[in-house]
Formats: sequence, C-alpha cells, structure tokens
Amino acid sequence: MLADAPVRRGAPPATVVTGATGWLGRALVERLLADGRPGLRALVRDPAEGAALAGRGVEVVTGDITDRRDVVRLFAGLADGADVVHGAGIIHPRVAADFARVNAQGTRYMVDIARSAGVRRFVHVSSNSPFGTNPVNGETFRNQEPYHPYLGYGTSKMQGELAVLAGVEAGLDAVIVRPPWFYGPFQPERQTTFFTLVRTGRFPMFDGGVQRRSMVYVDNLVEGVMLAELTEGITGRGYWIADARPYEVREIVDTVRRALVDEGYQVSGRPRSLPIAIARAAETADRMIQRVGRYQQQVHVLGEMGHSIACDIAAARADLGYDPAVELYEGMRRSIRWCRDQGISL
Amino acid sequence: MSLAHDPFGPADHIEVEVLIVGSGAGGAPTAALLAEAGFEVLVVEEGSWVDQGAVKPFSLEQMARQYRSGGVTVALGRPAVAYTEGRCAGGGTEVNSGLYKRPPHEVLDAWRTDYRIADLDLGEIDAIADEVERDLSVSYVPGETTAASRALARGAEALGWRTGEIPRWMAYPERGDALSGRRQSMTVTYLPRAVAAGAALATDVRVERLEIVDGTARAAIVTRADGRRGRISFRHVFVCGGAIQTPALLQRSGLHRRIGDRLAVHPTVKLAAKFREQVNVDDDVPVHQVTEFFPHASFGGSASQAGLVALALNDNWRAFNREIIDWRRMSVYYAAITSEGRGRVRAVPGLRDPVVTYHLTRNDRALLGASLGRLALAMLAAGAEEVFPSFRGAPIVRRPADVARLESGFRADRASVMTVHLCSTVPLGEDPTRCGADSHGRIHGTTNVRVNDASLLPTAPGVNPQATVMAIAIRNVRRFIEETRVG
Repeated sequence: MLADAPVRRGAPPATVVTGATGWLGRALVERLLADGRPGLRALVRDPAEGAALAGRGVEVVTGDITDRRDVVRLFAGLADGADVVHGAGIIHPRVAADFARVNAQGTRYMVDIARSAGVRRFVHVSSNSPFGTNPVNGETFRNQEPYHPYLGYGTSKMQGELAVLAGVEAGLDAVIVRPPWFYGPFQPERQTTFFTLVRTGRFPMFDGGVQRRSMVYVDNLVEGVMLAELTEGITGRGYWIADARPYEVREIVDTVRRALVDEGYQVSGRPRSLPIAIARAAETADRMIQRVGRYQQQVHVLGEMGHSIACDIAAARADLGYDPAVELYEGMRRSIRWCRDQGISL
Repeated sequence: MSLAHDPFGPADHIEVEVLIVGSGAGGAPTAALLAEAGFEVLVVEEGSWVDQGAVKPFSLEQMARQYRSGGVTVALGRPAVAYTEGRCAGGGTEVNSGLYKRPPHEVLDAWRTDYRIADLDLGEIDAIADEVERDLSVSYVPGETTAASRALARGAEALGWRTGEIPRWMAYPERGDALSGRRQSMTVTYLPRAVAAGAALATDVRVERLEIVDGTARAAIVTRADGRRGRISFRHVFVCGGAIQTPALLQRSGLHRRIGDRLAVHPTVKLAAKFREQVNVDDDVPVHQVTEFFPHASFGGSASQAGLVALALNDNWRAFNREIIDWRRMSVYYAAITSEGRGRVRAVPGLRDPVVTYHLTRNDRALLGASLGRLALAMLAAGAEEVFPSFRGAPIVRRPADVARLESGFRADRASVMTVHLCSTVPLGEDPTRCGADSHGRIHGTTNVRVNDASLLPTAPGVNPQATVMAIAIRNVRRFIEETRVG
C-alpha cells in the first residue's frame, strides 16, 4: 500500500472504452457522459448498439478486440494523453476457446497498441477468477495474491493480466481493477434469471448458504474504475473493487427477497439448501465440459456457488481513496427498479 | 553438565511423593513449582542429558541424539504426516526454534467455551506469561536478523502482508549479534530451578506403565538405562511426555476413554528459495513470521543446513538435485496451517512406540496448496530467483504465473507434509464427549493421575505452542499445590 493520500490527475482529452455496451461499460459511459467527459471513443461490435451510443455523442468504432486491425483503428488519430478503460471480455461463451481469444489475445492487442499510441493510463478490468476461490470459507483474498485461476475463464483473465503486466514492463502506465460478481442497472439476462430464481425460492444454496461472496454494485465499480484511471503513482498495481464487505450467500438471498418485497413483488417458496456435494459434482462436470472445449453456463455457476470468493478492499481504500457508497439492500432495490423501468419481468 | 543422577542406586523400588514423567515444556515447570512448594519430586526422562552446545543446533547430529527415533516418526494417513519429538532432558525446548508466542486470547476464549474449561482466566494466563517471559529472558535479536529472516519479512512487506519478528527464549551477551544467543531451554532454566529446590532428575528412564487400582495410580514400572526394570511408588503423578507419548503411556496403563483420539497438529509444507546473495545460516532459523493469515496459516523459516536443503529438494530430486550446489544461496521456508483434521495415537502391545494416524480434510488440502502458493509469491517478492516447492512434480517458480502452475499441480498426497507441533490428545475441560482430563489436567475417572503438557491443549493454537503449554502447565500446577495444601 502507498503511504500517502492519493493524488489525482485531471480528466484526459480523450477516453477510449471497450466493452462499452456491456454491463459495466454502459454504466461507465453514462457516468462519463454525465460528467461531461470530452473525447469519448468506444469500440462496439454491434452497429445498432453503436448507433445508439453515437447518438449520444460518443465516437463509435465498429469492431472487435479479437481483430488486431479493429484495435489499430480504435487508436487511430487519438489525442495525446488519452486514457483507456479496457472493459471488454467474455464470461459465458458458447465455446471454451472464446475465453482465450477474447480475454487473453484481445487484451494483448489492446495493450500493445495502446502502448504504441502513447496513452496516459490503461485501466484493465479483470476479475476474481485469476485467483480462484478462497481456500476455505472464512478466508479472504488479500490485495496481492498468487494466481490460481478458476477454469477456462480464470485462466484467460490471468493471461489478460499477465499481458497487461508485460505491457507495464515495456513502459505502459496500466492499472488493474478486479471486480467480483456485479449487480445493478444494465444487468444482462443471466442476472434477471438470478432474481427470478431467488423470488421463487428456487435459487440453490449449498450448506445453508454460509459461503461468503464479495459483490460489487455497478456504480461502486464505476467509481473504482475512475479512481484507478485518475490516481497517480499506482502503475502496475491491481485492486479489488467490491462493496465494503463480503456477504454470505444466505444474506444475499434474504436481502434480494426483502428488496423484492419492498419493491412490491411477491416472493414465493423458501430458500432451500442443498448438499455441498451437488456443487462439487457440478464443478467436476464443468471441468470435464471445458476440457472438451465446451461451456455450459448453469453448470459453471452451480459449481462456483459452492465456494467462497471474499476479497479485502483495504488497498483500494488506502491507495485509491475508494469508498463504496452503496450496500447490498439499497443496490438490489435500485437494480429491481431498473428492471421494472426496462419492462423486464422478474 | 548433567543434573541427572540414578535415583535407584542398588534398589529396584523407590518411593517419591510426586513423580513427573517427562522433562520438557510441561514437565520442567511442573517440577520446579512443586519442588519450590516443598513437594518431594522425581522427574524421569526417557532421553539423555545433552549439554547445550554439545551438538550443533538444527543439525542432523542433533536429530540423532535429541529426537525420538532420529527425528523420523510418521503419522500414517494419505498423505502421511512426518513429525518430530524431542527426546532428551528438556524435551522439545532443547531443539525447537525457540520462538515465543503468547497464547492468543481468542484461542483461549474459544477453548473455554467450546470445551467448558472451568476457571480459565485470561488475566491469570497473561500474568503467568509475564513470568515465563522473564524466566526465559524472551527477547528480540540484537542488531540485524539473519539474511534468510529478513528475506521473508521483505517479501511479505512488499505484498502488504502483516509480518514481524517473533521473540525467542534466548539470552544474548552484551553487544552480541543474532547468532550469539544462548537458548533458555529447560536444561538451563526450570530444570536447574527444580533441582536447586530439591527435585531429583533421572534421565534414560522410560516409564512402561502406571499401576492403577480403582482409579488411583500407585506406582510406575520403568526401564532403566541399563535395561533393568524398576518400580517407583508415588502419591501423585504428572504425565508430561508430550502429545504422542503421554496418551500412549496412559493407554498402556489401561486408561483409554477420550485418550489419544483428537491429535491436532499444524500441518506444514515447505519450499526452498534461491537468492542472488548468500542467505543460508546453517545453525539458526529465521525469526520472522508472516502473521497476515492467522488463524488459518502462518509462514516462517526452517532450519536450512545443507542436508535439510537437500531434504526440501528431495521430493522432486531428479529435477531439482543440481541446485544443491548453490545451498549457500538457499534457505528453506514453511507454510503451516490450522487444520480441521484430527489424528489418533494408539499404543500397540509389543511395540515400543504408538501407532499415530492423521487425516487431512479437503479444506486442509486446499489451504496447504494455497498457503504454499502465497509463500512462493512472498519469496518472489523478496527477490528470490527461483523457488523449489517440496512436492512431487512441482514446477520451479521464477515468476508469478509459475505460482499458478504450483497451485494447480499441488496435491497434498504428493507433498512432504510434516509437523513439529503436536497437541490435543488429552484435551482438558468438562465437555464429557471430548475431554480426557478435567479443567486442570486430572484424568477423568482417576484420583491422582494428571497430565500437564501439550496433550491438554484442546486444539492446535495456530501459533508456536510452547508458551501456551507452559502457561497452562503452570496454571494447573498452582491449582494442584493450592488444593493439595488445603486437603
């Protein structure tokens, strides 16, 4: 940890965002637009989604980080001293090979070309998965931990981090942020499923839900990403960006049910607890499925639910001045309201 | 110079008021306090008297002379857990690292509640710890600690992990350096005190069994140095043979209920780290520990003379063996965990030593691998060029990504898991389902058989246990003196 209070930089003349149409990316772009950040440029795969962003004043480059030429175009003609937030990644692919293609190779392209373009700060959005799960429940990840990747996603995100760290050695000013499980507005379909399962008492808890999970409300994460972008003297470091404390799975389930009730939804059933052996079996199945190059989201999530993933944000507090404002109950209520406003039925 | 003498003379039957079996961290203070209170005390010790300085500390010769079975003792299981026991006057205090850690309050609190230990007063334990620290001149290294010790501290600090120098029971001469300390083990502290107060010490005497009739022990049947049998009658007996020998002796004496069922250890895995500069100190151990992960795990430095570096490389000898020529640039470090697993000690008729088993749980295995990974990362952060983890098939770790290979390749069954901290085979307390002894160490169902050593600690405390063993032993013997005087 750094000894002194964080020193901030001013906003850059230009900011490049990848993954701008994703969960974090949309929240981040909203925040940057609200702040009046100049020179926003985004790499977008889907032209329709790109048009929506362009309509709001974002300079859109259509393309994919897995295509080196697209990445070159993304950085072409960029103002000096630009910042980059590399939020693009794939978490639930169709085939396991996509992990390496997007999270590892795509990040290598981004790092190499950003470095040639002379960017000011490169913020890489990583994950808990390069570090696996807590060895035992009750343990907590410290800010600096050895890599112990969890399956294909974890391995690819580790390779992404290693690419970033290699870039740092070559002179890139990069910082890594590591969010665990997000929640909040702009949530994808899978999180809607999570709400529905919890609402109807069908969300599987193992051993009474005593596993601990760090989660991060998406606006807390946006705040952490921007602090990582704008704080001096942290080149090459990585930080957990999560809510103030880890939650037990049973607390997460109870809180979501309470938030649903308080938002006027009916909850049914009762949270049920399954033997941990089911999670272990799912983990084994996940391993076998990924070994043959495939990917099955439900099996993956089920296997991971048997583990604790708790992380300590002390270093982000100290070095970045990160102080997450939103906690679980309030964040979940906001998420539910957002879903309702989008016409998503839970 | 040995303080021991043969108490039998020409006789083969003697009588004492109090017999103490074992002269280590439990037995020696028990003897000193009882003798000073006016009891007639005989301490019998299975091992020999070895003057400090007669053998090189942390050497293989020391293992041969001052450890049971030359330091080669194993708890069966998958994996087997190798353990060591001191077997000499002073017991483990003569040969251990000498690191002193007070019993943590949270551990004592948990014991009191979970095992229903009566009158376990934290203030009293702290006051006893104050005394012990004076008696053993617990102190920090004067001047600089050794290079191997500083490397661990440097690595941990670079990662933002809590670390610190652990004080030791060492007396340092004025203007002495890190290597000039004199170990304040039992042979130079509590045993001389006991003898000065009139206690007798007999070494090379093994207690085979206690004669117990209707819950009262009357005599011990012993084997003397020359192989002859002897009989020692007593009014009170304190069994202080350590967590393996104590339950074995009780079992040989017909006491079985909740004796030897709950062996607890700190399972430990190792690595050897190679630095650019010379770090090896072959007759001392590092004094820094990484305490960041308490109560789950702690890291420290191990004895690292050339033979022990070779032992650390041995699991992957074919790949690692050529490194041994650089042993002066290498030092061995360990990661110890607080284990959920438990083991058993079983005396077997006809065998001199008991059969010991230990079972590591799934969580224990995960924690061992994760801890070895963290330790390897700390070594890289300290500037190690190469790290050699001690398990079959281990990769050489040169950069952080290699730690991922270490962790994914780690299987506890392929590692040399060992321990030097053994406890909990006769837990004290009033919980009838788990405790072999009452809240002050008297074996349930007996009138005068007491245990006063590491066997009593209900769990492995997560820190070097000698200070806890001594504090609990002193507490118990004070209670005994009070009660026996009143009675």
